[in-house]
Amino acid sequence: MSTHAMNETDGEAQEHATMPKGSGWRGVLVSIIPLGLLAGIVVITLLVTALVRQLVAGSGFFVQQQSALVVLIVGLVLAIVVFALASWRVLRHVKIWQRDGTTTQANAALWALTATTLIIVLPVLLALILPQHPAP
Amino acid sequence: MFSQISPPTAPGSSTVDKSTKAGRGFRRLVAVLLALSVVLTAAYAAISIKIASQLVQTTKVPLYATPASLGLQYKDITFSSREDNIQLSGWFIPGVLPNGSLTTQRTIIVVHGNNANRADQSVGLLKLSGAIAHNGFAVLAFDVRGNGVSSPAPRSFGYFEQRDVLGAVDFLRTGSLPYPDLGRPRAIAGWGLSMGGSALILAAAHEPAISAFVSDSTASDYTPILEREIPNGAHLPQLFTPGALMAAYAIYGINFYAVRPVDVVSQLAPRPIFFIHGGADTFVPPSNMSELATAARAAPNAHVQTWIVPGANHAQSYNTQPQEYVSRIIAFYTSAMGPDTSASQ
Repeated sequence: MSTHAMNETDGEAQEHATMPKGSGWRGVLVSIIPLGLLAGIVVITLLVTALVRQLVAGSGFFVQQQSALVVLIVGLVLAIVVFALASWRVLRHVKIWQRDGTTTQANAALWALTATTLIIVLPVLLALILPQHPAP
Repeated sequence: MFSQISPPTAPGSSTVDKSTKAGRGFRRLVAVLLALSVVLTAAYAAISIKIASQLVQTTKVPLYATPASLGLQYKDITFSSREDNIQLSGWFIPGVLPNGSLTTQRTIIVVHGNNANRADQSVGLLKLSGAIAHNGFAVLAFDVRGNGVSSPAPRSFGYFEQRDVLGAVDFLRTGSLPYPDLGRPRAIAGWGLSMGGSALILAAAHEPAISAFVSDSTASDYTPILEREIPNGAHLPQLFTPGALMAAYAIYGINFYAVRPVDVVSQLAPRPIFFIHGGADTFVPPSNMSELATAARAAPNAHVQTWIVPGANHAQSYNTQPQEYVSRIIAFYTSAMGPDTSASQ
Protein backbone atom coordinates (compact mmCIF):
# COMPACT_ATOMS: atom_id res chain seq x y z
CA MET A 1 0.00 0.00 0.00
CA SER A 2 2.79 2.39 0.82
CA THR A 3 4.42 1.49 -2.51
CA HIS A 4 1.16 2.37 -4.28
CA ALA A 5 0.97 5.66 -2.43
CA MET A 6 4.55 6.37 -3.30
CA ASN A 7 3.90 5.63 -7.00
CA GLU A 8 0.90 7.93 -6.94
CA THR A 9 2.98 10.69 -5.42
CA ASP A 10 5.71 10.12 -7.95
CA GLY A 11 3.13 10.28 -10.74
CA GLU A 12 1.74 13.58 -9.47
CA ALA A 13 5.24 14.92 -9.09
CA GLN A 14 6.04 13.95 -12.67
CA GLU A 15 2.83 15.50 -13.87
CA HIS A 16 3.67 18.75 -12.13
CA ALA A 17 7.25 18.59 -13.30
CA THR A 18 6.01 18.84 -16.90
CA MET A 19 4.02 22.01 -16.17
CA PRO A 20 5.55 25.30 -17.16
CA LYS A 21 7.09 26.80 -14.07
CA GLY A 22 5.32 29.83 -12.73
CA SER A 23 2.31 29.78 -15.08
CA GLY A 24 -0.10 32.01 -13.19
CA TRP A 25 -2.94 31.51 -15.63
CA ARG A 26 -2.84 27.76 -15.20
CA GLY A 27 -3.14 28.25 -11.45
CA VAL A 28 -6.15 30.50 -11.95
CA LEU A 29 -7.80 28.12 -14.40
CA VAL A 30 -7.38 25.13 -12.10
CA SER A 31 -8.73 27.02 -9.10
CA ILE A 32 -11.91 28.24 -10.76
CA ILE A 33 -13.00 24.67 -11.44
CA PRO A 34 -14.74 24.37 -8.01
CA LEU A 35 -16.65 27.59 -8.61
CA GLY A 36 -17.64 26.43 -12.09
CA LEU A 37 -18.89 23.13 -10.70
CA LEU A 38 -20.77 24.90 -7.91
CA ALA A 39 -22.42 27.35 -10.30
CA GLY A 40 -23.26 24.58 -12.77
CA ILE A 41 -24.89 22.36 -10.14
CA VAL A 42 -26.84 25.28 -8.63
CA VAL A 43 -28.18 26.31 -12.06
CA ILE A 44 -29.10 22.71 -12.91
CA THR A 45 -30.76 22.34 -9.49
CA LEU A 46 -32.88 25.44 -10.05
CA LEU A 47 -33.90 24.25 -13.51
CA VAL A 48 -34.75 20.75 -12.24
CA THR A 49 -36.72 22.30 -9.35
CA ALA A 50 -38.78 24.35 -11.82
CA LEU A 51 -39.28 21.27 -14.01
CA VAL A 52 -40.36 19.08 -11.09
CA ARG A 53 -42.74 21.81 -9.91
CA GLN A 54 -44.40 21.80 -13.33
CA LEU A 55 -44.48 18.01 -13.59
CA VAL A 56 -46.20 17.46 -10.24
CA ALA A 57 -48.43 20.55 -10.47
CA GLY A 58 -51.50 18.34 -10.90
CA SER A 59 -50.78 16.39 -7.72
CA GLY A 60 -51.65 19.24 -5.39
CA PHE A 61 -49.81 21.88 -3.44
CA PHE A 62 -48.28 19.68 -0.73
CA VAL A 63 -46.78 17.18 -3.20
CA GLN A 64 -45.52 20.07 -5.31
CA GLN A 65 -43.99 21.78 -2.28
CA GLN A 66 -42.33 18.63 -0.95
CA SER A 67 -40.95 17.65 -4.36
CA ALA A 68 -39.53 21.09 -5.07
CA LEU A 69 -38.01 21.32 -1.59
CA VAL A 70 -36.42 17.86 -1.81
CA VAL A 71 -34.91 18.57 -5.23
CA LEU A 72 -33.65 21.98 -4.12
CA ILE A 73 -32.12 20.76 -0.86
CA VAL A 74 -30.53 17.64 -2.43
CA GLY A 75 -29.14 19.79 -5.24
CA LEU A 76 -27.71 22.38 -2.87
CA VAL A 77 -26.15 19.72 -0.62
CA LEU A 78 -24.67 18.03 -3.70
CA ALA A 79 -23.31 21.38 -4.86
CA ILE A 80 -21.64 21.95 -1.48
CA VAL A 81 -20.12 18.44 -1.38
CA VAL A 82 -18.80 18.69 -4.94
CA PHE A 83 -17.45 22.17 -4.26
CA ALA A 84 -15.70 21.00 -1.07
CA LEU A 85 -14.10 18.02 -2.84
CA ALA A 86 -13.02 20.10 -5.83
CA SER A 87 -11.58 22.81 -3.55
CA TRP A 88 -9.70 20.22 -1.51
CA ARG A 89 -8.21 18.82 -4.72
CA VAL A 90 -7.12 22.26 -5.89
CA LEU A 91 -5.53 22.95 -2.51
CA ARG A 92 -3.63 19.66 -2.84
CA HIS A 93 -2.35 20.80 -6.24
CA VAL A 94 -1.34 24.10 -4.69
CA LYS A 95 0.56 22.26 -1.95
CA ILE A 96 2.50 20.31 -4.58
CA TRP A 97 3.18 23.45 -6.59
CA GLN A 98 4.48 25.16 -3.48
CA ARG A 99 6.67 22.16 -2.71
CA ASP A 100 7.98 22.17 -6.30
CA GLY A 101 8.72 25.86 -6.14
CA THR A 102 6.16 26.93 -8.77
CA THR A 103 5.11 29.70 -6.44
CA THR A 104 3.64 31.99 -9.10
CA GLN A 105 1.19 29.28 -10.11
CA ALA A 106 0.44 28.40 -6.49
CA ASN A 107 -0.11 32.01 -5.48
CA ALA A 108 -2.29 32.70 -8.51
CA ALA A 109 -4.42 29.70 -7.60
CA LEU A 110 -4.71 30.84 -4.00
CA TRP A 111 -5.71 34.37 -5.00
CA ALA A 112 -8.27 32.95 -7.41
CA LEU A 113 -9.66 30.81 -4.60
CA THR A 114 -9.82 33.90 -2.40
CA ALA A 115 -11.82 35.60 -5.14
CA THR A 116 -14.02 32.49 -5.23
CA THR A 117 -14.88 32.95 -1.55
CA LEU A 118 -16.00 36.50 -2.32
CA ILE A 119 -18.14 35.31 -5.22
CA ILE A 120 -19.75 32.66 -3.00
CA VAL A 121 -20.70 35.17 -0.32
CA LEU A 122 -21.74 37.72 -2.95
CA PRO A 123 -25.49 36.91 -2.63
CA VAL A 124 -25.31 37.54 1.11
CA LEU A 125 -23.26 40.71 0.61
CA LEU A 126 -25.70 41.97 -2.02
CA ALA A 127 -28.65 41.25 0.29
CA LEU A 128 -26.81 43.26 2.94
CA ILE A 129 -25.82 46.13 0.68
CA LEU A 130 -28.72 46.57 -1.75
CA PRO A 131 -31.23 49.10 -0.46
CA GLN A 132 -34.67 48.02 0.70
CA HIS A 133 -37.66 50.30 1.08
CA PRO A 134 -39.90 48.73 3.71
CA ALA A 135 -43.34 50.26 4.12
CA PRO A 136 -43.66 52.53 7.16
CA MET B 1 17.98 11.82 18.54
CA PHE B 2 15.80 13.66 15.93
CA SER B 3 18.60 16.01 15.11
CA GLN B 4 20.57 12.99 13.98
CA ILE B 5 18.08 12.11 11.26
CA SER B 6 17.33 15.71 10.18
CA PRO B 7 18.52 16.60 6.68
CA PRO B 8 21.68 18.61 6.52
CA THR B 9 21.06 22.31 6.55
CA ALA B 10 21.65 23.83 3.11
CA PRO B 11 22.87 27.41 2.67
CA GLY B 12 19.89 29.81 2.53
CA SER B 13 17.48 27.19 3.96
CA SER B 14 16.01 29.65 6.46
CA THR B 15 14.67 31.74 3.54
CA VAL B 16 13.13 28.61 1.98
CA ASP B 17 11.59 27.67 5.34
CA LYS B 18 10.05 31.13 5.68
CA SER B 19 8.69 30.93 2.14
CA THR B 20 7.29 27.44 2.78
CA LYS B 21 5.68 28.54 6.03
CA ALA B 22 4.18 31.60 4.36
CA GLY B 23 2.84 29.45 1.51
CA ARG B 24 1.34 26.96 3.97
CA GLY B 25 -0.21 29.77 5.98
CA PHE B 26 -1.77 31.34 2.88
CA ARG B 27 -3.09 27.95 1.81
CA ARG B 28 -4.65 27.32 5.21
CA LEU B 29 -6.13 30.81 5.28
CA VAL B 30 -7.76 30.24 1.89
CA ALA B 31 -9.09 26.86 3.04
CA VAL B 32 -10.66 28.51 6.09
CA LEU B 33 -12.12 31.33 3.96
CA LEU B 34 -13.61 28.81 1.53
CA ALA B 35 -15.18 26.82 4.35
CA LEU B 36 -16.55 29.97 6.01
CA SER B 37 -18.01 31.33 2.78
CA VAL B 38 -19.77 28.04 2.01
CA VAL B 39 -21.13 27.72 5.55
CA LEU B 40 -22.30 31.35 5.57
CA THR B 41 -24.03 31.16 2.19
CA ALA B 42 -25.52 27.72 2.88
CA ALA B 43 -26.92 28.96 6.20
CA TYR B 44 -28.35 32.03 4.43
CA ALA B 45 -29.96 29.81 1.78
CA ALA B 46 -31.38 27.42 4.38
CA ILE B 47 -32.91 30.24 6.45
CA SER B 48 -34.26 31.89 3.30
CA ILE B 49 -35.93 28.64 2.22
CA LYS B 50 -37.49 28.26 5.67
CA ILE B 51 -38.84 31.83 5.61
CA ALA B 52 -40.19 31.36 2.08
CA SER B 53 -42.04 28.21 3.17
CA GLN B 54 -43.64 30.10 6.05
CA LEU B 55 -44.45 33.08 3.85
CA VAL B 56 -46.61 31.09 1.45
CA GLN B 57 -48.49 29.13 4.13
CA THR B 58 -52.09 30.15 4.61
CA THR B 59 -54.23 29.65 7.69
CA LYS B 60 -57.54 27.95 6.96
CA VAL B 61 -60.33 29.90 8.61
CA PRO B 62 -63.64 28.02 8.86
CA LEU B 63 -66.84 29.61 7.52
CA TYR B 64 -68.85 30.98 10.43
CA ALA B 65 -72.15 31.43 8.61
CA THR B 66 -73.84 31.29 5.22
CA PRO B 67 -75.97 33.80 3.28
CA ALA B 68 -79.02 31.95 4.59
CA SER B 69 -78.33 33.58 7.96
CA LEU B 70 -79.13 36.90 6.24
CA GLY B 71 -82.33 35.52 4.71
CA LEU B 72 -80.75 35.20 1.27
CA GLN B 73 -80.98 32.39 -1.23
CA TYR B 74 -77.65 31.03 -2.44
CA LYS B 75 -76.05 27.98 -4.00
CA ASP B 76 -72.70 26.37 -3.29
CA ILE B 77 -70.54 26.41 -6.36
CA THR B 78 -67.17 25.01 -7.39
CA PHE B 79 -65.06 26.08 -10.31
CA SER B 80 -61.44 25.93 -11.45
CA SER B 81 -58.93 28.71 -11.61
CA ARG B 82 -57.79 29.69 -15.08
CA GLU B 83 -54.51 28.14 -16.33
CA ASP B 84 -53.63 25.96 -13.32
CA ASN B 85 -57.09 24.48 -12.58
CA ILE B 86 -57.04 24.83 -8.79
CA GLN B 87 -60.44 23.76 -7.35
CA LEU B 88 -62.21 26.73 -5.79
CA SER B 89 -65.38 26.82 -3.70
CA GLY B 90 -67.81 29.63 -3.26
CA TRP B 91 -71.36 30.88 -3.05
CA PHE B 92 -73.51 32.30 -5.77
CA ILE B 93 -76.03 34.67 -4.24
CA PRO B 94 -78.65 36.07 -6.65
CA GLY B 95 -79.54 39.73 -6.30
CA VAL B 96 -82.88 40.61 -4.76
CA LEU B 97 -84.95 43.27 -6.54
CA PRO B 98 -87.34 45.59 -4.69
CA ASN B 99 -90.29 43.42 -5.79
CA GLY B 100 -88.60 40.39 -4.21
CA SER B 101 -87.67 38.68 -7.47
CA LEU B 102 -84.18 37.32 -8.00
CA THR B 103 -81.70 38.49 -10.61
CA THR B 104 -78.21 37.69 -11.88
CA GLN B 105 -78.02 40.43 -14.53
CA ARG B 106 -75.33 42.35 -12.68
CA THR B 107 -72.93 40.13 -10.81
CA ILE B 108 -70.16 41.21 -8.47
CA ILE B 109 -67.18 38.92 -7.89
CA VAL B 110 -66.16 39.35 -4.24
CA VAL B 111 -62.49 38.59 -3.49
CA HIS B 112 -61.47 38.40 0.17
CA GLY B 113 -58.15 39.31 1.73
CA ASN B 114 -55.20 37.44 3.19
CA ASN B 115 -55.79 34.49 5.58
CA ALA B 116 -59.55 34.79 5.38
CA ASN B 117 -62.50 33.33 3.50
CA ARG B 118 -65.61 34.37 1.59
CA ALA B 119 -67.46 35.13 4.84
CA ASP B 120 -64.53 36.88 6.64
CA GLN B 121 -66.16 37.89 9.90
CA SER B 122 -63.40 40.30 10.94
CA VAL B 123 -64.16 42.65 8.04
CA GLY B 124 -67.91 41.97 7.83
CA LEU B 125 -67.60 40.39 4.40
CA LEU B 126 -70.71 38.22 4.55
CA LYS B 127 -72.79 41.19 5.70
CA LEU B 128 -71.38 43.30 2.88
CA SER B 129 -72.14 40.58 0.30
CA GLY B 130 -75.64 40.38 1.74
CA ALA B 131 -76.08 44.15 1.47
CA ILE B 132 -74.93 44.07 -2.18
CA ALA B 133 -77.39 41.25 -2.94
CA HIS B 134 -80.23 43.07 -1.18
CA ASN B 135 -79.53 46.01 -3.51
CA GLY B 136 -80.22 43.92 -6.63
CA PHE B 137 -76.71 42.73 -7.51
CA ALA B 138 -75.84 39.04 -7.62
CA VAL B 139 -72.69 38.08 -5.72
CA LEU B 140 -70.13 35.42 -6.50
CA ALA B 141 -68.12 35.12 -3.29
CA PHE B 142 -65.44 32.44 -3.23
CA ASP B 143 -62.53 31.20 -1.18
CA VAL B 144 -59.26 32.16 -2.80
CA ARG B 145 -56.81 29.26 -3.29
CA GLY B 146 -55.32 28.00 -0.05
CA ASN B 147 -58.15 29.57 1.97
CA GLY B 148 -61.50 28.40 3.31
CA VAL B 149 -62.77 25.29 1.55
CA SER B 150 -60.74 25.79 -1.65
CA SER B 151 -57.78 23.56 -2.52
CA PRO B 152 -54.46 24.13 -0.77
CA ALA B 153 -52.04 26.37 -2.64
CA PRO B 154 -49.25 28.78 -1.80
CA ARG B 155 -50.17 32.33 -0.86
CA SER B 156 -48.78 34.76 -3.39
CA PHE B 157 -50.58 38.07 -2.62
CA GLY B 158 -52.18 38.17 -6.06
CA TYR B 159 -49.46 36.65 -8.24
CA PHE B 160 -51.38 33.37 -8.59
CA GLU B 161 -54.67 34.46 -6.99
CA GLN B 162 -55.45 36.56 -10.08
CA ARG B 163 -56.04 33.22 -11.84
CA ASP B 164 -58.81 32.50 -9.32
CA VAL B 165 -60.56 35.74 -10.26
CA LEU B 166 -60.21 34.82 -13.93
CA GLY B 167 -61.64 31.38 -13.10
CA ALA B 168 -64.64 33.10 -11.51
CA VAL B 169 -65.16 35.12 -14.70
CA ASP B 170 -64.95 31.93 -16.78
CA PHE B 171 -67.49 30.29 -14.47
CA LEU B 172 -69.93 33.16 -14.89
CA ARG B 173 -69.53 33.20 -18.65
CA THR B 174 -69.37 29.50 -19.48
CA GLY B 175 -69.83 27.43 -16.31
CA SER B 176 -72.97 25.54 -15.30
CA LEU B 177 -75.51 28.10 -14.16
CA PRO B 178 -76.46 27.89 -10.47
CA TYR B 179 -79.82 29.46 -11.35
CA PRO B 180 -80.51 28.41 -14.98
CA ASP B 181 -83.83 30.25 -15.14
CA LEU B 182 -82.11 33.56 -14.29
CA GLY B 183 -79.61 33.27 -17.15
CA ARG B 184 -76.06 34.51 -17.34
CA PRO B 185 -74.94 37.90 -16.04
CA ARG B 186 -75.20 40.80 -18.45
CA ALA B 187 -72.38 42.63 -16.68
CA ILE B 188 -69.62 41.44 -14.34
CA ALA B 189 -67.81 43.66 -11.85
CA GLY B 190 -65.39 43.03 -9.01
CA TRP B 191 -64.86 43.96 -5.38
CA GLY B 192 -61.51 43.12 -3.79
CA LEU B 193 -60.13 43.64 -0.32
CA SER B 194 -56.39 44.06 0.30
CA MET B 195 -54.79 40.97 -1.30
CA GLY B 196 -58.11 40.36 -3.06
CA GLY B 197 -57.94 43.87 -4.53
CA SER B 198 -54.47 43.15 -5.79
CA ALA B 199 -55.63 39.88 -7.40
CA LEU B 200 -58.62 41.68 -8.89
CA ILE B 201 -56.57 44.48 -10.48
CA LEU B 202 -53.94 42.06 -11.82
CA ALA B 203 -56.68 39.84 -13.27
CA ALA B 204 -58.64 42.71 -14.79
CA ALA B 205 -55.57 43.80 -16.73
CA HIS B 206 -55.99 40.55 -18.74
CA GLU B 207 -59.77 40.30 -18.67
CA PRO B 208 -61.97 42.94 -20.29
CA ALA B 209 -65.13 41.13 -19.13
CA ILE B 210 -64.75 42.70 -15.69
CA SER B 211 -66.41 46.03 -16.26
CA ALA B 212 -65.93 47.89 -12.96
CA PHE B 213 -63.87 47.54 -9.80
CA VAL B 214 -63.97 48.46 -6.16
CA SER B 215 -60.54 48.06 -4.63
CA ASP B 216 -60.44 48.39 -0.84
CA SER B 217 -57.19 48.67 1.16
CA THR B 218 -55.05 47.43 -1.73
CA ALA B 219 -51.28 47.86 -1.78
CA SER B 220 -49.83 49.52 -4.85
CA ASP B 221 -46.71 47.36 -4.59
CA TYR B 222 -46.24 44.36 -2.28
CA THR B 223 -42.44 44.52 -2.06
CA PRO B 224 -42.30 47.29 0.60
CA ILE B 225 -44.98 45.48 2.63
CA LEU B 226 -42.99 42.23 2.48
CA GLU B 227 -39.74 44.04 3.22
CA ARG B 228 -41.37 45.26 6.43
CA GLU B 229 -43.35 42.14 7.34
CA ILE B 230 -40.82 39.36 6.62
CA PRO B 231 -38.24 40.60 9.16
CA ASN B 232 -41.03 41.27 11.68
CA GLY B 233 -42.61 37.84 11.23
CA ALA B 234 -39.37 35.87 11.17
CA HIS B 235 -37.66 37.99 13.88
CA LEU B 236 -34.63 38.24 11.62
CA PRO B 237 -32.80 41.17 10.03
CA GLN B 238 -33.86 42.61 6.66
CA LEU B 239 -30.90 40.83 5.12
CA PHE B 240 -33.00 37.68 4.70
CA THR B 241 -35.87 39.29 2.77
CA PRO B 242 -34.30 39.14 -0.72
CA GLY B 243 -33.19 35.55 -0.06
CA ALA B 244 -36.66 34.53 1.07
CA LEU B 245 -38.27 36.15 -1.99
CA MET B 246 -35.78 34.44 -4.30
CA ALA B 247 -36.37 31.10 -2.54
CA ALA B 248 -40.13 31.55 -3.01
CA TYR B 249 -39.47 32.02 -6.72
CA ALA B 250 -37.25 28.92 -6.87
CA ILE B 251 -39.56 26.63 -4.89
CA TYR B 252 -43.04 27.91 -5.76
CA GLY B 253 -42.51 29.96 -8.90
CA ILE B 254 -43.87 33.07 -7.14
CA ASN B 255 -42.31 36.34 -8.21
CA PHE B 256 -43.36 38.61 -5.36
CA TYR B 257 -41.51 41.50 -6.98
CA ALA B 258 -44.07 41.34 -9.81
CA VAL B 259 -47.07 41.87 -7.50
CA ARG B 260 -47.35 45.53 -8.39
CA PRO B 261 -50.95 46.55 -9.15
CA VAL B 262 -49.63 50.07 -9.68
CA ASP B 263 -47.96 48.90 -12.90
CA VAL B 264 -51.15 47.57 -14.52
CA VAL B 265 -53.93 49.70 -13.05
CA SER B 266 -53.81 52.15 -15.96
CA GLN B 267 -54.73 49.27 -18.30
CA LEU B 268 -58.15 49.09 -16.65
CA ALA B 269 -59.32 52.34 -18.25
CA PRO B 270 -61.87 53.29 -19.44
CA ARG B 271 -63.54 50.88 -17.02
CA PRO B 272 -64.44 52.70 -13.80
CA ILE B 273 -62.45 52.10 -10.62
CA PHE B 274 -63.35 53.03 -7.06
CA PHE B 275 -60.48 53.02 -4.56
CA ILE B 276 -61.39 52.90 -0.88
CA HIS B 277 -58.86 53.04 1.94
CA GLY B 278 -58.90 53.35 5.71
CA GLY B 279 -57.52 56.68 6.87
CA ALA B 280 -55.90 55.00 9.90
CA ASP B 281 -54.53 52.00 7.98
CA THR B 282 -51.03 51.32 9.31
CA PHE B 283 -50.59 47.96 7.55
CA VAL B 284 -51.06 49.27 4.01
CA PRO B 285 -50.72 53.04 4.44
CA PRO B 286 -53.23 55.26 2.56
CA SER B 287 -50.38 56.53 0.36
CA ASN B 288 -50.81 53.23 -1.52
CA MET B 289 -54.28 54.34 -2.62
CA SER B 290 -52.91 57.67 -3.79
CA GLU B 291 -50.27 55.89 -5.87
CA LEU B 292 -52.85 53.57 -7.41
CA ALA B 293 -55.26 56.41 -8.15
CA THR B 294 -52.51 58.54 -9.70
CA ALA B 295 -51.37 55.63 -11.88
CA ALA B 296 -54.96 54.84 -12.90
CA ARG B 297 -55.66 58.48 -13.79
CA ALA B 298 -52.62 58.54 -16.06
CA ALA B 299 -54.61 56.60 -18.65
CA PRO B 300 -56.76 58.50 -21.14
CA ASN B 301 -60.49 58.16 -20.44
CA ALA B 302 -59.81 57.05 -16.88
CA HIS B 303 -62.78 56.96 -14.48
CA VAL B 304 -61.37 56.93 -11.00
CA GLN B 305 -63.08 57.57 -7.68
CA THR B 306 -61.43 57.57 -4.29
CA TRP B 307 -62.66 57.56 -0.71
CA ILE B 308 -60.54 57.70 2.42
CA VAL B 309 -62.60 56.45 5.34
CA PRO B 310 -61.58 58.51 8.40
CA GLY B 311 -60.42 56.46 11.37
CA ALA B 312 -60.64 53.11 9.61
CA ASN B 313 -57.83 50.62 10.14
CA HIS B 314 -56.68 48.12 7.54
CA ALA B 315 -59.66 46.54 5.77
CA GLN B 316 -62.07 48.03 8.30
CA SER B 317 -63.71 50.67 6.11
CA TYR B 318 -66.99 48.74 5.85
CA ASN B 319 -67.09 48.03 9.58
CA THR B 320 -66.32 51.69 10.34
CA GLN B 321 -69.03 53.21 8.13
CA PRO B 322 -71.26 50.34 6.91
CA GLN B 323 -74.20 52.35 5.61
CA GLU B 324 -72.12 54.97 3.85
CA TYR B 325 -69.91 52.20 2.43
CA VAL B 326 -72.82 50.28 0.93
CA SER B 327 -74.46 53.44 -0.32
CA ARG B 328 -71.30 54.54 -2.13
CA ILE B 329 -70.41 51.23 -3.75
CA ILE B 330 -74.02 50.58 -4.87
CA ALA B 331 -74.10 54.01 -6.48
CA PHE B 332 -70.77 53.24 -8.16
CA TYR B 333 -71.85 49.84 -9.47
CA THR B 334 -75.21 51.18 -10.67
CA SER B 335 -73.49 53.96 -12.54
CA ALA B 336 -70.93 51.59 -14.06
CA MET B 337 -73.19 48.63 -14.88
CA GLY B 338 -76.49 50.36 -15.54
CA PRO B 339 -79.86 49.49 -14.03
CA ASP B 340 -81.26 45.98 -13.74
CA THR B 341 -83.71 45.41 -16.57
CA SER B 342 -84.90 41.93 -15.69
CA ALA B 343 -88.22 43.22 -14.27
CA SER B 344 -89.09 44.86 -17.59
CA GLN B 345 -88.28 41.75 -19.66
